[in-house]
Amino acid sequence: MNKKKHLFAEDSFFLSRRKFMAVGAAFVAALAIPIGWFTSKLERRNEYIKARSQGLYKDDSLAKKRVSHANPAVEKYYKEFGGEPLGHTSHELLHTHFVDRTKLSS
Amino acid sequence: MHQEHDMRPILKHPLNVRIFHYILLLSFLPLAATGLLLFFKPLSQEGMQLTYDVHIIAGIIMALDAVAFTIMAFDRVVLFIARVFSFSERDVKWFMVLGGYPQKFLLGKKVPIPPMNKYNSGQKLFGACVLIGGTVLILSGLVLWLIPHAAPRDTVWFLGQAHLVSGLVLTAFLPVHLFLAVYRFDDFKAMMIHGNVPYHDAAEYTPLWVKNEIAPVATNGEQLTSK
Repeated sequence: MNKKKHLFAEDSFFLSRRKFMAVGAAFVAALAIPIGWFTSKLERRNEYIKARSQGLYKDDSLAKKRVSHANPAVEKYYKEFGGEPLGHTSHELLHTHFVDRTKLSS
Repeated sequence: MHQEHDMRPILKHPLNVRIFHYILLLSFLPLAATGLLLFFKPLSQEGMQLTYDVHIIAGIIMALDAVAFTIMAFDRVVLFIARVFSFSERDVKWFMVLGGYPQKFLLGKKVPIPPMNKYNSGQKLFGACVLIGGTVLILSGLVLWLIPHAAPRDTVWFLGQAHLVSGLVLTAFLPVHLFLAVYRFDDFKAMMIHGNVPYHDAAEYTPLWVKNEIAPVATNGEQLTSK
């Protein structure tokens, strides 16, 4: 389509190369700022998660009883009342049941 | 009353800008409508889920449109930014009379207005809001949609607030934009149909643009003269 229907148009060279580069660079930098800010936030969050998991492992290594079934209270429960792990009584008492409450909302 | 109008056409909105604007229009209108529905939550659970899906799809279209236009027509984006963020004494004078619109609409009076470039000061303010607000909407929308569980909690809350405020500001601008677009009907036709404004319209509303930036072109597509 070679034929143009307009008689005038913007002179495309009125914006100098220097100004074009300055505005373009500022725009790209402005777009990069939130990305950099968000990335650093995520990194700092990961540092916190790593420190927390290290702390949990440390607590674990210091604990005298390191697994729940070695807990004397749990042992006593199974011996005197619950019978065996995954047994009928324990299933009735200890399993959690869920109700779909979305159907209850108005 | 009727004067001889200079109807020679000036290309104001090139084809790529019109296509970008069309996709922006078709994505932003459902975004604004579904955004308000998501804010006020008037529908049933299924209705709200559908609203959310429409919001996401329209948001993806708008984001792709903005990114594609920025990459494919970077010169126009730079030009737009340079225009929108230029500021002079003329802008202060324009805002002091608000472009003469209130006087024209309310009192039927014409007041002198400083000569404007391609965009008047009000359009420049709207352009700045669209640039900044649109960028905030796209970036925050991406995080809120894709990684709300993986991003830091406070950041997600802040981005949610930024998304809400930007969306409400741009949605509030929408009726003003639509009203003034139809009021400036020559410009409306240029953006929605053929890209051209008549010389007399450009000379009346954007005299500096015509004086400083407009050059004649030959009808066969070749440059006739440089200024």
